[in-house]
Amino acid sequence: MASQRDVRNKIASVKNIQKITRAMEMVAAARLRRAEQRIEALRPYADGMRRMARQAAIAAGSQAERQPLLAEHDTVSNVGLLLVTGDRGLAGGFNSQIIRAGVRLAAELGEGGKTPVWFATGRRGVSSISFRGNELTGAYTGFSDRPGYADARTIADDVMTGYVDGKLDRVELIYNSYISPLTQRVTREVLLPISQAIGDAEPDEQERDDATDERPPQPVEYEPDPQTILQRLVPDYIEVSIYRALVESAAGFYGAQMTAMRSASDNAGEIITDYTLQMNRARQAEITQEIMEVVAGAEGLS
Amino acid sequence: MAHSKFPLEVLTPEGEVFSGEVEMVSTFTGVGSISLLAGHEALLATLVPTELRIYRTEDDVLRFAQAEGYIQFADNRALLLVEEAIPPDQLDRSVYETKLTESRHTLQQAPEDSEEHARALRDIRRYEAFLSVAAA
Repeated sequence: MASQRDVRNKIASVKNIQKITRAMEMVAAARLRRAEQRIEALRPYADGMRRMARQAAIAAGSQAERQPLLAEHDTVSNVGLLLVTGDRGLAGGFNSQIIRAGVRLAAELGEGGKTPVWFATGRRGVSSISFRGNELTGAYTGFSDRPGYADARTIADDVMTGYVDGKLDRVELIYNSYISPLTQRVTREVLLPISQAIGDAEPDEQERDDATDERPPQPVEYEPDPQTILQRLVPDYIEVSIYRALVESAAGFYGAQMTAMRSASDNAGEIITDYTLQMNRARQAEITQEIMEVVAGAEGLS
Repeated sequence: MAHSKFPLEVLTPEGEVFSGEVEMVSTFTGVGSISLLAGHEALLATLVPTELRIYRTEDDVLRFAQAEGYIQFADNRALLLVEEAIPPDQLDRSVYETKLTESRHTLQQAPEDSEEHARALRDIRRYEAFLSVAAA
């Protein structure tokens, strides 16, 4: 049986770990509130952008296909996979679920004769994809805590250039969308071709209202014209979609870290209780032993 | 004479800048200046950097330095999506003057058909518009 001193040392070290996990939980909770505010501020803008892109795409019709960024490629060989992960760990399955989803999708693409082209944000995703022996065409790190619009723009430029140059025939985005501090949903979205991106997106409340509206559609004035609007809207839409994924992922990370650290603190508490019990038993055993020795000594003298 | 009102929302990636009933909104599209009143026909347009004016009433006018964006008018509702919209009293002239100088420098250095060149050109237009709003 471990001595009292050993168990006391173990209790002290678990208490230190518990202090760290409690502090990390509180830091994550404070940052989560700010990240939640950012995502709540961005969502209406991103939804509005998608509605406008959809309207312009419908109005532009087949004319849109003349622009290299707007055209759908005849054959799909190279598929860009953009995985959005965090720079840091200690957040439960937050990063691993994205990496698993990406690897699974890459395997499916390989079975269908397509080649995955890897892009990843966050040190966890970058190192994990490289460790598996995959070459990363784009690796973006150092901003997962507080992504800026410029970061999204850099990534968007790379994937759009790849698409226009014919090095990518489709681009998919995999990220954790933020539902609540306890729930992050792995979300897979098509970024390019744009017809699939805006066509596949789920309609929001306003679009559902419009769809049930039985009045004849109003004539719409376009300034300058639907093709030109779409030409400008599409890069903005892709930038905003990537920015949204980065911001959702940042909020999701803090939610996951907060939950993981709370759970770690609770587990540390249970371990401390167990060790305390063990220490009391050891102390009791030592006392009993001492009493027995005293009694035996007294009996020996009498 | 008071005009009838319509709902207007001005959104940026950082959040809502304005939401409420207005009599008129005045801005600049890729084609030219535009003022929308209630009952305007449905519209979708690109916006260029300019001064955005929101007329809650004839005498109650809000001004913003507005960056590039889009305007949609449908079902007597207006939605403006702009990259930035800053009230004139929050514009720091010295910051935008520095940014303007940097963008002009980038424009001179970048190859003409590069993305960097196009971005510098966009930034110059934006900062010039912001400075003119700050000066007004």
